[in-house]
This record gives sequence, structure tokens and C-alpha cells, in this order.
Amino acid sequence: MKTMKNYVWVLLLALPLLATAQDLTPVAQTLNKAKQVPEFMQVRSKLERFGMAKPDEWLANYYLAYVDVQLSFQLPSKDEKAQYLREAEEYLNKLPELKGVELSEVYTLKGLRLYGLIASDPQTNGPKYSGEIIANYEKALALNPNNPRAMILLALFKNNMAQFMHQANPGFEQEVDKAAAVFETENTTTANPAWGRTWIQMARNSK
Amino acid sequence: MKDFTLIILFFFAGLCTVFGQQRTVEGKVLNEKSKPMHNANVFIKGSIDGASSDSLGHFSFTTDQAGELTLCVRMMGYAEYIILLMPGKLTNIVVKMHPDNITLDNVVVTAGNFRLKGNGQFGKMSAVDIVTTAGSTGDLYHSLRTLPGAQMVGESGKLYVRGGDSREAQTYIDEMHVLSPYTTTSENVPVRGRYSPFMFEGINFSTGASASEYAQGLSSVLALNTKDASPITKIGFNPSSVGLGGGGTQAFDKGSASVSLNYQNMGPYYSLIPDRLHWVNPYQLFSGSSQLRFNPDPSTVFKTFIGYDRTTFVQQLTALDNPSNVRNLNMKDDNFYLNSTFQKSTGSGYKIFAGAAFSFHNQHIDDALVAADTYRNKEWEVHLKTKVSKRFTDFLRLNVGLENFFRHNNTAYNYTTTAYTDSINHTISAAFATAILNLSSNLHAELSDRLEYTSINHQWNQNPRLALTYNLNGINFSGIVGRYTQLADNKYLLLDRNLLAETCMQYVGGMYYEKKDKIYRIESYYKQYDKLALQEPTVLNSTGYGYSKGVDLFFNDKALFKNLEYMLAYSFCLSKRKYEEYTELSVPQYATTHNATVSLKYNVPALKSIIGITNRFASGRPYHDPAKVGIMNSTTGCYNSVDMSLTYLASKKVIIYASATNLLNRQNVYNYNYTADTAQPGGYHKTPVIDSAPHFFYLGVFITLSGKAAYDVSNF
Repeated sequence: MKTMKNYVWVLLLALPLLATAQDLTPVAQTLNKAKQVPEFMQVRSKLERFGMAKPDEWLANYYLAYVDVQLSFQLPSKDEKAQYLREAEEYLNKLPELKGVELSEVYTLKGLRLYGLIASDPQTNGPKYSGEIIANYEKALALNPNNPRAMILLALFKNNMAQFMHQANPGFEQEVDKAAAVFETENTTTANPAWGRTWIQMARNSK
Repeated sequence: MKDFTLIILFFFAGLCTVFGQQRTVEGKVLNEKSKPMHNANVFIKGSIDGASSDSLGHFSFTTDQAGELTLCVRMMGYAEYIILLMPGKLTNIVVKMHPDNITLDNVVVTAGNFRLKGNGQFGKMSAVDIVTTAGSTGDLYHSLRTLPGAQMVGESGKLYVRGGDSREAQTYIDEMHVLSPYTTTSENVPVRGRYSPFMFEGINFSTGASASEYAQGLSSVLALNTKDASPITKIGFNPSSVGLGGGGTQAFDKGSASVSLNYQNMGPYYSLIPDRLHWVNPYQLFSGSSQLRFNPDPSTVFKTFIGYDRTTFVQQLTALDNPSNVRNLNMKDDNFYLNSTFQKSTGSGYKIFAGAAFSFHNQHIDDALVAADTYRNKEWEVHLKTKVSKRFTDFLRLNVGLENFFRHNNTAYNYTTTAYTDSINHTISAAFATAILNLSSNLHAELSDRLEYTSINHQWNQNPRLALTYNLNGINFSGIVGRYTQLADNKYLLLDRNLLAETCMQYVGGMYYEKKDKIYRIESYYKQYDKLALQEPTVLNSTGYGYSKGVDLFFNDKALFKNLEYMLAYSFCLSKRKYEEYTELSVPQYATTHNATVSLKYNVPALKSIIGITNRFASGRPYHDPAKVGIMNSTTGCYNSVDMSLTYLASKKVIIYASATNLLNRQNVYNYNYTADTAQPGGYHKTPVIDSAPHFFYLGVFITLSGKAAYDVSNF
């Protein structure tokens, strides 16, 4: 009986914790599959509610930054792109202070956000941020050499630059395969970052 | 007893479920114009219960929260909305949202200014835009002359804006004044900017009615902003047809340090491409600069910039009226600039700025006017400035600030037994305040005032300004009226310290429209000058006056053909003044009625190149022919120059830039100098003022040495 009582106590005390930990996983999974603006908007609203209820939860802030960057790719208006990228920067600035944060993922996302800036205005931002993007991805890989998102994004960015310069990029295929192999081993059933497989597809199509 | 505890526990667990009874919250979200808002995030604060509004603005969700509920509505670009919901009043809720502060702050009053809304590319010219504009020869000021409002004064190189003198255009770096922004050259050789355009992230060019924060500029303000952070370690160098430069940046966790060194020597260039001038020692410029940046946290920036440059040359000159009168003008020019600023945004919404700048300029010329004379001019300025800005409500943002200029000028001229020396020391103290009012979602006003005291003439001046912007279906209409004051030029102040501050009333009205990579702009202005320094035959006074009026047109299109961008600019300007040596109301020598620029940039991906072609046209310049009656009684022929530039990305580490001016080999005449004809009493010889060389060729190779940086020609 005593054991049972303890279980109930634990259950009661852990309920709120379990609730958030469990609830963020499906949101992250929906986000990883989202393709259209309405889907991203829906997920963003959910994440924002999470983030407001648990401002110190790094994953909520991280995914908010991620969804904002994704929306900047999708939305047509320059003003809107700028708004979302500005908000993403605010979340990213907050992240390093939070408990349990994976800095390798933060630097990867910082790089992707800068890429969003380039995509929104290539002529002005291309020369301005190219170096910084590479620096962020390299920092991410220095912290975690097996971060598949940093691997594929760095490979793609370098390949785009080589294409732009009409130069050969012989190592590209192996880099993509290597990142793809790491993605295969990644656990997608938790709330931890697991996005990025679509970039592999994009890389293979671009060849 | 144990069982009893367990029962109580189960009771509490059950209670949670009872209190967790689900209630429905329902209503709709409207924007400031009472139109439904899609995708607004509506939720109970502190929980994750909520929903997004649909395309009709409706929302509906259930919550198991008990008692009073705090409903929160969030939407990008809008202020957060919070309302307390009483139990039993959870349906038919109507929420009205209002644009947030960031969105409100992005609305910048547009007339007179090339900085428009946050993303307007028109306002944020980048260094790349400048360099790839043909005819800029990599120089900031040359490139600005392609914009409407700026006048083509080919022999000078300085900025002349909307019929105003070049000294009426002021340059600021990071909000701090720059005393001598131009390089020193010999007569009729165009000056360049001392600072590389690559140093700057934001280049905001105001062609009129500029903000009252900027002092002592009757016509225009060029506000340059350096980068707040430089997160990449890099090193590079660039050999060019005129010299060699190099430098780099070391990035740290919370800051960076940059150094740049540059040496120019025109000797080799002139030996290949001779000009019309006679150089004993060719033009040489050594410059070194450094910038330190420190970002202790994302909302705080400390920046310090130090620059020094030295110019030397010896040029042989022959007097126009006496070919045997030959002298060697020997120029030594030192310039130092130090600028230190601090910016912080606090959590409570205050933006704080403090800065200090020191400019020092020393010029020493032997054989300046005649052989064996010496001219020396030493000038320095300390500028201190502090300001605070805060948005108090959706309706009001306030900016207030204080600043002080301490100025010194010392000049000496020696020729045989004649010695003339004089100096002035004075201060300018000012307080300025601006209220930015959002009168409605499409009507904005900026009301400002600047109170200034100039110690040299013990004068108080007030510069009020009102700017209005109205947005009608995406078209921005704006109007500004403002008063501006500026002390007379030092050469007059040295003679008479009691000269009044010169004044200019500006009236500007314009329209701006931007859609799908196309920008249309039209602006008209009227400027009334008063209290200008006037050198009458026997007396110097402040009774000069004048006016300038005109229209500027601008059109930019990136959408006509893929990879092609073109720009059309036209300025019409009528300017007349009675001031300085113009003792009658007349058109000043630098003013032209028509100025037009057509600039094309074509990006050829297959060749990894950007090709730029610019054609600049200006109607004839007025000049004074002593053989005719009246002053400024004649006009030169038109000015026209076709310039070309090529930017080639040889690899991601090597960029080659080439430019050439005046491809049609036209001889542009800017003015005529007259000398008395000794053989024929009352007759004159006339000599045209023309470019020192028909073309200027620039070839530069920008090489990046470090690993990460790419396509980066900036060492900073």
C-alpha cells in the first residue's frame, strides 16, 4: 500500500512536468513534416503558447526560432520576412543562457537564420553574411562533429558558392551521404532537434 | 490510517478532474481597421490552452483552467493584447489589435531623405551598390552624385546638394561629426572620401530637411554607420593601379579588432597615363585606420574608430598671366580622426547613446600662392553628444539629446616681410528634442526643435521642424518644413567673429512608391537662404541671401529583365544667391539647372561578372566673363560622361574590379579663368578649367587570405 501511495504522490507531482515533455514531442514532429505556411503558422502558435507558459524551456525557444526562419523562406513579403527573422534572432540570443541547451544546434540555427537573410535579399546580404554563415556551421560541428543538420547545411552552402563561381566541388556527394547516414541513426521520437532530412533530398536533387 | 491518506490523495486527484472541467472560450480578432485577423494566437496566459484565429478572425478552444482567466492574443507585428475574462463571460469576445512599437518605429518620415522604411533598398545603400555603380571609381561621394538632388561638380568631387554650397553638406560617422571628410588634392583634381565605403554598413543620404539632431548643415547630411559587430576573423590585401592596401579583423567572443593600412602613389600611374599637370613629386597618400568593437551583450555596443592619413605632393604651377612665373607648390596634409561611441537598449525600452569625436586637420603649403610663400592651416574639433530615446505609448516616441562642439582654427601666411596669423576658438552648444507621433495607422508626424548657442558671435538659434507622412494605398506622401542654421565659413569668421549664423528655411514635399522591385520617387523643394556672409567691396557683413528651388525625380527598376537593374535620376534646380564674392543676386558657379543620370548594372552569371554603365549629364555651368556686363553672365557647354565598371569574381577569394571614366573622350569645361591681355588693353585671355586627365582608370584586385571569409573586400 505504501508503494502505491508513493506512486500516486510521484504521479501527482510529476504530472505538470510530464505534460510539457510529452506535449512538445508531437509539436516537434508536426513541425518536422510541415511544408506550407498555414501548417507552420499553426505549429508556431502552439510553440508560442508553450514558450509563454515555460519561458525557460530551451526547446520551445529553439523551435520558435526555427519556425520563424522557415516562415521567412515561405512568406512572399519582404517586410514579413524581416519581422520573422528579427524575432528568430531574439529567441536565438536568449538560448545560450537556458538550461540543457545544445549549443551545436543553436549555432546551426544561427547559420540557417543568416541564410534566411541572404535568401530575402541576396544582393545586399550575400556578400555580407557568407563568411559568418560558414563560421556558424563550423562552430556547430566543432561542438558536435555528428550534427547532421550542420553537416548538410554547410555542404549545401559551400556547394552553392562553388556553383555560383562555376567551380567544381568534388567532395560534395560524400558530404551529403555522410550527413544522410547520421540522419538514419537519429532518434525522431523525442522532442530533440531532428529536422533537416528535406535538405538531403534537396542536395541530391541539385546535383 | 494509511488507507485514509490514500483516499485523500485519490480525492485530490479527483478534485483536479472536477476543477478541470472543460469550458469553451470563443470570439473573434480584428485589426486596427476592424478587419478580421487570420492566424492570431489566442490563448489562456500561463497555460498552453489556445487556438489560432481562422480567416474570418474567429477562434474557439476549450480550457480546463478554473476561475478568472487571462486571455492573451499575439500576432507578429502587433502589440500583445491581454484581457481578464470573468467566469460566465467566455464567449463572443471581441479583440482589437494595434500595430506594435517595432512596426510603428519602422515608419520613417520620408521626404528629403534617402532612408525610407526599414527594408527600402533605396535608403540602405550598401558598399557593393556603390562600387558596382560605374563612375563611382570606388568612392562614396562620387557614387552619391548619381542620386537625384546631388549636383555634378566634376572638378571638385565634393557633395553639392540642391543648389547649396559643398560646405552646407555635413558627414557623420556613427552619429558623430567628421570635420574633414574629403582628401586633399591639388586645384581642380576631384577630391575623394577619406574613408572606404566598405567600412560602412548603413549609408543614409539626406538631400534636404534633415533631422534636427544633425547640426551645422544647411543643405544635406550624409550619415554613415559602421558595423556593430564583425564576427569573422579575416585578412586581405588589394594591389591597385594607384597603390597598395591591406588589413584584417580579429574576431573575439564579444568583440573584434580591425586594422587597415593603405598607401597610394600616383607616380607609376602617371608614368603610364600622363595627365596635364606637372608633378615634381607625385601625389602620395598614406592612411591607417583601426576599429575596436565590444558587444558585452546583444543590446550593448561600444565602438572606437581611429584614422590617420598624410597626403604629400609637389606640383609645378605656372601663373596664367606670366609664363615665366613658375613655382613648386609643396603640400603636406595631416588628418586624424578619433570616434568613440556607446549604444545600449535597456529592458525598459530606453535607447541610450553617448559619443565623443576628435577631428584634427593640419595643412602646410609652401609656394601656395606665389613662390617662396608659406601657408599653414590648422583646425580641430571635439564633438560630444548624448541622446536618449523611448517609446512611451503607441502614439508617442520621444528623442532628446545634448551636444557640444569645441572648435579651433589657426591660420598663418608668410611671404617675405608680410606675415598674417589669426585664430579662432569657439563652441557650439545645443539641445534637441523630437516627438514622433503616430496620429493614425497611416498618418505620422515628427515635431522637433533644436536650440543652439554659438559662442563666437554670442547668438542663440532655434531650429524647429515639422515632418508629416501620409500613406494612401501604399503611396507615401510627405512634407517637411524646417529651419536650419550654420556658422559662416571659417575664412570669414577669422575676419569678423560677429558674423551671424547663416539660415535656411526648407520646404519639401514628395511622393514615394515602391512595388515589386520598382521604386518611384518625386520630390520638390524650396529653400530660402538668409544672413549669408557677404563680402562687399569695403565691408564684410551678414546681409547675403538667396534661394534654391527645384524638382528631383528617381526611378529604379530591377524587374524589367533578369539580372538587369537600372536607375534614372533627374534633378531640376534653380538657384540664385547674393553671398560671399557674388555681390549681385546670381547663379553660383557650382549650380546647374539640369542634372540627369542613367545607370545600368548587368549581372552576367556565366561570366561571374557585374557590368555597370553610367551616363551622367549636366547642363552648362555659369561663369563670369569680365568682357561682358554683369556678373556670372555666361554659361559653359554641357557636361556629359559615360563611365563603365566591371566587377569580376575570379574565385571566392579574389575579386577584380576595373573602372574607366569618360569613354566618349569628351572634354568637359567646368569654368573659365580670365587674365588681362597685356598686348591689347581691355582684352582678356580665357583658359578653360577642365579635368586634369581625360580619363581615370582604376584596376584593383581584392584578395582574401583567411579561410572563412569569401567575396569580402572589407578588412573591417
